Amino acid sequence: MDANTIIPILLGAAWLLPLASFVTIVLAGPRMGKAGSAAAGVATSAILIGFVLSATSLMIWLVANPLPEPHHPGGHHEAEHHDAEHDIPAGEHATGNGSTPFHAVAFLADDSADPSDDAHADADGAEAGHQNDAGDHAAAEAYTAPTPIVGTWYSLGEFGSLRIDIGYYIDTLTVVMFTMVTLIASCIHFYAIGYMHDELHDYTDPLAPTADGQPLHRPGRFHRFFQYLSLFCFSMLGLVYAGNIAMVFVFWELVGICSYFLIGFYFERHSASTAANKAFIVNRVGDFGFIIGLMALWASLGTFAFGDQVVDGQTQPGIFSLVRPADHSHKLIVPAGMVTAAAADEINEAVLSAPPTEAAASAQPSAAAIDQWRSEGYGYWLLVIAGLGVFCGCVGKSAQFPLHVWLPDAMEGPTPVSALVHSATMVAAGVYLVGRFYPVFTPEVLLVITYVGAVTLFIAATIAITATDIKRVLAYSTVSQLGYMMLALGVGGWVAGMFHLVTHAFFKSLLFMCSGSVIHACHTNEMTEMGGLRKKMPWTAYTMLVGCLAIIGAAIPFVVGFSGYYSKDSIVAQSLLFWQANPSHPWPFYAAAGGAAITAFYMFRLWFMTFAGEPRNHHVYEHAHESPKVMYMPLVVLAVFATIVAWPVPLTNLSLNNMLEQARPTGMLPGDGEVWSGVLMDNLVIPNELLSHELDIHVPATLIASGTAMLGLLLAVAFYGVGALDPNEVRQRFKLIYWWLWNKWMFDELYDAVFVRPVHFVSRTIANIDRTLIDGLINNLALGVRRIADIDGLIDKYVVDGLVNRTASCIYSSGLAPRRVQNGRLQTYVVWIVAGTAAIFVLSEYLGWLSWGLGITTAFK
Amino acid sequence: MTFPELVNSFFANTLDLSIPVFMPEIVLSGTIVLMLLVRIFQREPRFDVAWLALIGSAVALYYACPLFGAPDLKQFMQDHPTAETFTGLLIHDGISAHFRTLLLVFLVLFIIFTKLSGIPDRIDAPDFFTLVLGGVVGMCLMVASNHLFMMFLGIEMASLPSYVLSGHLKGRRKSSEAAIKYAVFGAGTAGVMLYGISLIAGATGSLHLPTIATQLSTMLGDGTLVGGRLAAVILGGLMLSVGIAFKLSAVPFHFWCPDVFEGASAEVNAYLSIASKAAAAAILVRVAFGFSHLPPPVPETEPVAAHAVEVADAPKLLLVSTAAAKKAPDSNLMLVADGDANGAEAAKPADTLAPVRGFIAGLIGVIAALTCTFGNLAAYGQTNIKRLMAYSAIGHAGYMMMPVSAGLVMLADSPTDAKTAVASVAFYAIVYLFMNLMAFSLIAFIRNSIRSEEIADYAGLIRSCPILVVCFTMTLISLIGLPFFAGFVAKFAVFASLAQAGLYGLLVVAGLNTAVSLFYYIRVVKVMCIDPEPESRLPVYVPFLPSMYVVAVTVPVVVLGLWWNELNEWVQMAANTLVF
Repeated sequence: MDANTIIPILLGAAWLLPLASFVTIVLAGPRMGKAGSAAAGVATSAILIGFVLSATSLMIWLVANPLPEPHHPGGHHEAEHHDAEHDIPAGEHATGNGSTPFHAVAFLADDSADPSDDAHADADGAEAGHQNDAGDHAAAEAYTAPTPIVGTWYSLGEFGSLRIDIGYYIDTLTVVMFTMVTLIASCIHFYAIGYMHDELHDYTDPLAPTADGQPLHRPGRFHRFFQYLSLFCFSMLGLVYAGNIAMVFVFWELVGICSYFLIGFYFERHSASTAANKAFIVNRVGDFGFIIGLMALWASLGTFAFGDQVVDGQTQPGIFSLVRPADHSHKLIVPAGMVTAAAADEINEAVLSAPPTEAAASAQPSAAAIDQWRSEGYGYWLLVIAGLGVFCGCVGKSAQFPLHVWLPDAMEGPTPVSALVHSATMVAAGVYLVGRFYPVFTPEVLLVITYVGAVTLFIAATIAITATDIKRVLAYSTVSQLGYMMLALGVGGWVAGMFHLVTHAFFKSLLFMCSGSVIHACHTNEMTEMGGLRKKMPWTAYTMLVGCLAIIGAAIPFVVGFSGYYSKDSIVAQSLLFWQANPSHPWPFYAAAGGAAITAFYMFRLWFMTFAGEPRNHHVYEHAHESPKVMYMPLVVLAVFATIVAWPVPLTNLSLNNMLEQARPTGMLPGDGEVWSGVLMDNLVIPNELLSHELDIHVPATLIASGTAMLGLLLAVAFYGVGALDPNEVRQRFKLIYWWLWNKWMFDELYDAVFVRPVHFVSRTIANIDRTLIDGLINNLALGVRRIADIDGLIDKYVVDGLVNRTASCIYSSGLAPRRVQNGRLQTYVVWIVAGTAAIFVLSEYLGWLSWGLGITTAFK
Repeated sequence: MTFPELVNSFFANTLDLSIPVFMPEIVLSGTIVLMLLVRIFQREPRFDVAWLALIGSAVALYYACPLFGAPDLKQFMQDHPTAETFTGLLIHDGISAHFRTLLLVFLVLFIIFTKLSGIPDRIDAPDFFTLVLGGVVGMCLMVASNHLFMMFLGIEMASLPSYVLSGHLKGRRKSSEAAIKYAVFGAGTAGVMLYGISLIAGATGSLHLPTIATQLSTMLGDGTLVGGRLAAVILGGLMLSVGIAFKLSAVPFHFWCPDVFEGASAEVNAYLSIASKAAAAAILVRVAFGFSHLPPPVPETEPVAAHAVEVADAPKLLLVSTAAAKKAPDSNLMLVADGDANGAEAAKPADTLAPVRGFIAGLIGVIAALTCTFGNLAAYGQTNIKRLMAYSAIGHAGYMMMPVSAGLVMLADSPTDAKTAVASVAFYAIVYLFMNLMAFSLIAFIRNSIRSEEIADYAGLIRSCPILVVCFTMTLISLIGLPFFAGFVAKFAVFASLAQAGLYGLLVVAGLNTAVSLFYYIRVVKVMCIDPEPESRLPVYVPFLPSMYVVAVTVPVVVLGLWWNELNEWVQMAANTLVF
C-alpha cells in the first residue's frame, strides 16, 4: 500500500474513532463503570489512538513527500539569512551562483522547471549541505509540491451536476491539523478526567439556584461530558478531513452544536444557558453568510469539491482547479461558470438576436467570448461574494469582529471545554477554513480579512487589559490572537497564519488548562481573589509562565525563543511587507506590533495577579492546592510543546514552518515580477510571503515585535510585579478609557440597543397587536358565541330536554307497566291465554281501523 | 285410480322425490336413536354423546346445506326442485332449504357451545341432546310443512323438548317452575290452535294449505263464504294464529317467555330464542302466504307463458309444481270435498283472495306492532340479563313479523317485492342467530365464572376481559340496529320492505322502537364499561377456548355488517322459489 491509499484510511479511522466512542457512551452511558466513569476511558483512548494514527500518517506523509529546504523560520541561523538573500530575486535561477533558489522552482515557477534547474538543484543540494547533510535527499531533484490526496468514501446523492460526497482532501495542512487537534484533545481528555471528577457523584451546583433558593442538586454528568467531547473531536476532525465545502459545512454545524452542548453543560445556570444560546445564535449569523457563499459557488461552479474528482472515468475539476487552473499557472482566474452566470443578460441577448438555427449554439458562449467577458470583469464580483460569504462563516466561528461577542461568554462551560474550544477545535475551524479556502479569495477579500483581523486584534487585546476574570482575560486573548491569524492570512502570510494557528493551539490550551487548575483550586474565577498562588501550586504556576512567555513571543531575538516568537514574528514581518507594498495600509502593521505589546501586558498582568505577590483573599489561599497529577501532567506536556513546537528538528529540514510551507496551496505565491493586485481595487498588492524572510524586512520586524513585547512585559512588571506603578491610580487617571474597556467597548450594549431591543420592541408590538386587536376580536367573537350558546343551552335544558325527559319518563313508566301483568303466576298466564284469544277476536273486529293506522290499506279496498 | 296405482304413486313420490330431500331429518332421527341406544347400553357415561350429536348434526347439515351439494342455492334448487313431498304434507323449496340450513348450522354451533360451557354434563348429555335434536327435527318439519296437520305436529314436536329443556336444571326451583309454566302455557295454546285447525278443516274441507287457499278463493268467488262458514274460517284462523304467536312469543302470548328465559339456562335460552324463533318465523311465512295465495293453476295445456315468466328462475319448477298441484287433490290424505271441480275456477285472474290477505296482513301487522313495542318497553328496568334478552327476543319477534305483513300487502301487485320482503325475514333470522348466540354464549361463560346473571354484576367487566366486552358491545349495537354491524343491514332490509309496501304506520312504530331499544342495550354497555367493579364479585375468568368461541361468533356480526351482499343474494334466491 502506498501513502495515497493508507493515509486516508488512517486519518479516516482517527476521525471515526471519536464517533464510535460517542455512540458507545450514548448507548451505554451511565452504566459504564461506576457513575459512568469508564466513559472517560473510552473517549480518551479513542482520541489517543486517533493521535497515534494521525502521527503515523504524518510520518508516512513526510516520508512520501519530502520537505523543501527550510525557510529559516526564526532566522536563528545567520548563515541561512545569507541564503535567503538569494532566495527570491527572480532571474537568479540561471546565474548559478551557488545559492540556487530552488524554492522558487517549487513555489514560484511551479512545474515549468527547465533542465538547468535540475543542475542548479544539484548544486544547491550540495550547498544546502552546510546546514544539514540529511537534507540531501530533498535536494537530489527539483522539489514539487505534493499533490493532495483526493477521494470519496461514499456519495450521498447527486442532484443534477451537484454531487454531495463523504470524501477527503488530504494535504500537508490536513495531516498537520489532525496531529495537532488529536494531540491537544488527548491532553485535554486526560486533564478533564481530573477536572470533571466532581461529576462522578451527585453534584450540587451553587451557581444554579432553584426556585426555592436552594442550590441545585442533580446527578453527575461525567459520562455525558465525555460523550460531548468525543462528538466535538469527531466533528472537528471531520471538518479537517472533508473533501468538499458542503461536508465542511455539515461538520462546521456539528462543531457549532457541540460547542452549544458543552458551553451549556451547566445548563441549569442562567449564565451558561444564555452563553450557549449566544454562541449558537451569533454563529448562525455568520453561517448565514457562509450559506450565501456556498450558494454563489454552487450556482456558478456546480461543484462543492475542493480537489479534482474522477467520476465515471472523467475528471471533474474541483473549486481550486476552476479558480486557479493549472494551465493558467495556478493564477487566480474567474471561472467560466461565474463569467457566464454574470453575463447571463448578454447570452440571452445573443440567443434572441441569433438566427433560430444558431440559437442553441449561441446559448453556449465560445471560449473567446468568455475570455472577453472575463477581461471586462464579468463574474469577478461573484468570486468576491463567494469569498466574503465563506469568510463570514469564519468570522462567526473564529469570533472575529463584529461577531466576537460570544467567545468570552463561552467560558461558562467547564474549563477543559474552554481549552478545547479556544485552541484546537471551534475557533480553529474558522481560521482553518480561511486557510483551506485561501485560493478562492481575491485580494479585495483578503483586504477585508486583514482589517477584520486587525480590528479584532486590537479591540480584544484592549478589553483583556481590564478584565479580572481569569478565563475572560484568556478568552479575549484568544480573540485577539485569532485576529492575528486572520490578519496574517489577509496580508498574504498564509504560512504565518497557519503557523500561528498551530502554535497558539498549544499555548492557549496550556493557558486555559492552567487557569482551570487555578479555578479548580480556588473555586473562583476572579483574579482579585487570588495572588501568591505559585507557592501553593508550582506546577501550574510555572507551566502557565511558559504559556505566557509563549503567547507574548518571548525569545532571544535571532537565537531561540518560545513557539509564539516564531509565528508572531512572521506575522509582524508579513504585515510590515504589506505596508511596504501598500503604503496606504500601515494599520495592519500597527495593530500587529501594538497588539504584541498589549498581549504581553495583559498576560503578565494575569500571571502576576494570580501567582505572584501577596494573597488577596486568605480564605481562598488557604484552601488552594496543587491539582492532581492527571491534571498537571498534561500541562507539562503542553508546556513542552508550547516551547518547542516551532523549533526545527536538528540535523533535518523537519520543522513546523517547513511543513506548512509544503502545505501552502499551489500557486499561492506571486510569480517572478508578477504583482498580485485586485481588480476592484487595482492599487492593492498582496506581497509574496517569501519576501518577508528578507533581512530588510525580517530583522526590523523581529526587533519591533520583540521590543513591543518587552515593553508590554516591563509595564506589567512595573504595575503588578514590583508595584512601581499603581494600577488604581492609572485607572483613576484614565477613568473614561477604563470604563470603556471595562464595558468591552460596549459591544454587548450596542448589539442590545441595535439588534436585541428593536427586535424585542417589534415582537412586543406585534404581540400586543395580536393580543389586543386580533385576540380581542376573536375573544369577543367567542364571547358572543358563548352567550348565544348559553341562551341556546337554557332553551335546550328547559324546552328541548324537558320535552325529551318528559317523553322518556313516559316511555319508562309505560315500559314498567307491563311488568305488573308479568306477575309470574301460572293461573294468571292461563287466564291470559283465554283473554288473549278473546282479545284477538275483539281485535279482529277493529282490524280494519288498526290496519289502516299501520298503513295496510290496499287490501281493504 | 286403482289401489295398486295409488300405492305405486305413493312409493314413487316418497322414494324418488321425498326421501332425498328428507335426508337431514332422517340423519338426525338416526342420531337420536343411536344416542338413546348409548343411553340404554352404557351404565357409566364413559362416552360423551355430545360428539355423536355433533357428528350427526354435521352430517345432517351436509345433506341440508346447499353449499355442500351444489355451488349455490340456485344450483341446489335446480337439482332438487321445488316440490311437495310426502304427498303434499311437506314442501321442499328455497325457504325450507334456507331455514333448515340455518337450523342445522345453529345446531352444530350450539353443540360446540354446550360442550364449551359444560351444560349439560356427561350424565345428562344423552337426554339433553336427544331433546335438542328431536326439537330440531320438529323445527325442520315446521319450516317445511305444507299442511296444517304437519304444522301442528312440527310445533308440538319442537315444543315438547323445549318444555323439558327449560326444566333441565333439575336442582333449581326456578327452572322447574319455568318448565311447568312453559308446558301449561304451551298446552293451552296448542289446544286453542288445534281447535282452530279443526274449524278450518271443517269449513274448507282440507288441511292442505294450497287446497285451503283454493277453497277459500272459490267460496269468496261464488259468495258462499258467509254466515257460519265465514265465522268458522275467521275464528279458526285467529285460533291458529294463537299457536303461532305462542311460538313466536308475540303479544299477548308472550307471558311464558321472560319467566322461562330467566329460569332456564343460557344455553337453552339460545336454543329457544334462535332455533325456535326462526322456525316460528318460517311457519308464519308458510301459513300467512299459504292461506292467501292461490297455488299455481293446473294448466289446461302445456306451459303457461304468464307463469313461466314468474318462475323463470327454475325451468323445471313450473312442471313439477303444476304436477304437484294437479296431484294434490288426489293424493291428499285428508278428504278433499270438491277440489277438482273448483280447480279451473281458481285459475281465474280475479284476485278473490284479497280480503283474506288483507285480514292476515292486518292481523300480523297489528300483533307485530304490539309485540315490538311491548318487548322493547318492558326491557326497561330489567335487572337480569337473561330477562332483558327475553324481552329483547320479544321485540325482535315483532321486527321479524313485520315484513310478512308487508309481503302480503304487496303480493298481488308486485310479487317480486313480496319475495324480497320474505327474503328480509330470512336474512333477519340469520343475523339474529349470530347476535343471540354471541350474547347467550357470553352470558353462559360469564355465569360459569361469576355465578351471576345480574346486569349489576357485569359492572366494570371491560377491565377483566376487554375483548369479550368489546365483542358484546358490538353485538348489542348490532341488536340495536346501528351501522356498521349485521343488525343494521337486517333491520334496514325489514324497513325497506315496509317502506316499499307503504306501511308507513308500521315503519314509524318500528323506527320508534329502534330508538327506544337503544337505551336498554346501551345501559348494559355503560355498566360494563364505565361503572366501577363490584367488590363482592367473584374474579372474572373466561378460558381461552370459550373466549375464542365468543370472538368467532362475533365475527359474522361484524363481517355481515360490511359484506352482506353474498348472504342477500342467497336469501333472495331462497325467497324466489316460493311459488306465488
